Amino acid sequence: MEAVLDVKLLTRRLAGRRAWVFLILGALTLALMAINLAVGSLTFPLARIVDTLLRPSESGDLAFIIWKIRLPRVLATVMGGAYLAASGLLLQVYFRNPIVGPYILGISSGATLMVSLVALTSVGFQMTYVTPFLTTIAGCLGAYGVMILVVAIAAKVRQGATLLIVGLMMGYLCGAVTSVLTALAEKEKIKGFVLWTMGSFSGFKWVEIGLLAGLGGGLLLAVYLLSKPLNAFLLGEDYAASMGVNIRRFRLFILAAASALAGLVTAMAGPVAFVGLAVPHLARLSFGTSDNRVLIPGACLMGAVVTSLCDLIARMWLNPVELPISAITAFFGAPVVIGLLLKRGARM
Amino acid sequence: MSVAFSTESAPPAPSQAADPKPPLLELRGLTVGYRKPIVTDLNLKLGRGLFVSILGANGAGKSTLLRTISRRLKPLAGEIFLAGQSLPSLKAPDLARIMSVALTDRAQVPMLRALEFVALGRHPHSDFLGRLAPRDLLMVEKALTAVQAGQLAERFVDELSDGERQKVVLARALAQEPKLLLLDEPTAHLDLRHRLEILAILRQLCQSQGLTVLAAVHDVEVAAKVSDLVVTLKDGRLVDLGRPEEVLVSATVQSLYDCPTANFNLALGGLELIPDGQAGRAFVWAGQDTGALPLRVLAKKGYALATGLFPDSDLDAHVARALGAKVFSYPSQKPPTPEELERLGELALGELATCDLLALGRPLAAEPMGELRQKLLRLAQRLEIPVLELGPTGELGPFIQALDRLKTLSTSAAA
Repeated sequence: MEAVLDVKLLTRRLAGRRAWVFLILGALTLALMAINLAVGSLTFPLARIVDTLLRPSESGDLAFIIWKIRLPRVLATVMGGAYLAASGLLLQVYFRNPIVGPYILGISSGATLMVSLVALTSVGFQMTYVTPFLTTIAGCLGAYGVMILVVAIAAKVRQGATLLIVGLMMGYLCGAVTSVLTALAEKEKIKGFVLWTMGSFSGFKWVEIGLLAGLGGGLLLAVYLLSKPLNAFLLGEDYAASMGVNIRRFRLFILAAASALAGLVTAMAGPVAFVGLAVPHLARLSFGTSDNRVLIPGACLMGAVVTSLCDLIARMWLNPVELPISAITAFFGAPVVIGLLLKRGARM
Repeated sequence: MSVAFSTESAPPAPSQAADPKPPLLELRGLTVGYRKPIVTDLNLKLGRGLFVSILGANGAGKSTLLRTISRRLKPLAGEIFLAGQSLPSLKAPDLARIMSVALTDRAQVPMLRALEFVALGRHPHSDFLGRLAPRDLLMVEKALTAVQAGQLAERFVDELSDGERQKVVLARALAQEPKLLLLDEPTAHLDLRHRLEILAILRQLCQSQGLTVLAAVHDVEVAAKVSDLVVTLKDGRLVDLGRPEEVLVSATVQSLYDCPTANFNLALGGLELIPDGQAGRAFVWAGQDTGALPLRVLAKKGYALATGLFPDSDLDAHVARALGAKVFSYPSQKPPTPEELERLGELALGELATCDLLALGRPLAAEPMGELRQKLLRLAQRLEIPVLELGPTGELGPFIQALDRLKTLSTSAAA
């Protein structure tokens, strides 16, 4: 019994289903952003918050809290989650490996190393002019230093597995230096540094938000425009080549884009665990597809939702003590992913 | 039969003898391999609408050749032309519109429906973002229908069985609308039903749409049945190129795979294993298709065979020869004189005297040579040669049981 095949109808039905998921995720993102704006150690009536948002010039405690603290944080959280998810997705497609995340190539270790240099030693003390941005600049240098190294190696090495091991070794190398610095550092400095390594979206300045939006947004757009060759990559390099993709150039692009996105977030917020690894899976499961034209925006939205939710928990759970975001993402997220995968027959 | 082959005398593609267009695929002095050459100096021209099988033992270079033609591997020497254009000069998307590939490695993609998987094949045709135009959707539908996988469209590819997945892989390659389709072992891991289905589909596409299929095939029987042309590779050379009916004679197949105990019979369309005769010698009284099955059973049990007496066009004669039997037969065009028959009968009786077993095929209503049959039986009785008889229904079960009893008897006697 051959069922009559109507591809057009089927495609439309699948697209309809996915539109619903997009709608729900979009609504969730907005709702979580609103909650994160409204909830905190100080509570204000919703009407006043809306009022403050609409009239930025107003001064006072509320305006300061909303405009200097909460709004930057909300935006940073949304973008950070989205970029990490996109980065993880890219690398999972590239390596055709489900347990790969944005930090697999040593980006976070590079950033951590450079940050430990300024945070644990007195290297940065003379540079008073850049002090407010010192950590960010150091993180940036570390993340992109490692990225350039890895991409340069990738241009020479063909096997994905070799590259993974290179990334792993980079992580160990940077980790070794960091641990030496930690051993030599003063006690008081260590706590701050350790907290940085667990990530936080607090304390973002508007300049950083601008950078995050401009650079990251541009990268994301480029990635989305390349979702077609990325789809060809789903079948592996051999098939991709046979479908007309320029493999060499495209490999480097994927690696560079993924590293740049993750590096951007890590430099500013510190390493945020779990999001880049798990959110692509959550997105694949909820959209029911590996089609990157759906998954790139889908994973970004899912990343925004998950990270916003985790940040809310990090801020409010043991209020007024704020927990590192990595603790929340991993603690709540990992069981969710395991549960979902088991329920859906562990298909990765 | 291992005649060196040169390009210019290549047999023209059966349907495209006088095509003014350049050949779809041309190899000129091509040498392929990884650093060390595996196959050297290949020359070959292929037209459209052909099913071409590449045959050769494991390691003969079939897959390496396909890798090179699909540009995943650089040739060590020589040139490849696709529709008249040299392969390195083709832009990747243009190449993808001429040639598509389906590989053996199981494309494992999580969370992708068969429909989406096949739609990936539209890559060289769709727009910048890979959006599917109505024509793309139509081609996806056609590809899925062509491989009879329409009902799989909504299923996830990683949940399909091997056979179903292979159909979908094929559909993806077809959705690319290629003129040349490269297949590496298209029916590996497939059960009989799916193997036949896929080959029938491919054959049909060659004939109806002018698609040319170049497939590395490890199964000679399959190649003989579906191919228009076969290419045989051995010892780093192209040994033969031609129609399977001409190329695949038993000696070629034996040397191709270095396997002298296998006998390839084109008329029967299959490979037979020649028995080593360890179980002894058996004479099978056959004719008019009564002996084919007992012959096979005895060969499988390891008996060297002799059989008679029938015209050489009898099915039993073909089977017996494929099994390496000594056949007592006469030409079917020229009925033998009584004297000739008499002489053949004497020879057959002489042969039976050297045998350990006489097997009688299913009895016929009217035995054309009932007299000789009686003579054989009497001789067997006199020499105490065991006789096994197939019943009038031709049922093999009791025959095989009797054969097994005989074997245990003889082994216990020996002990």
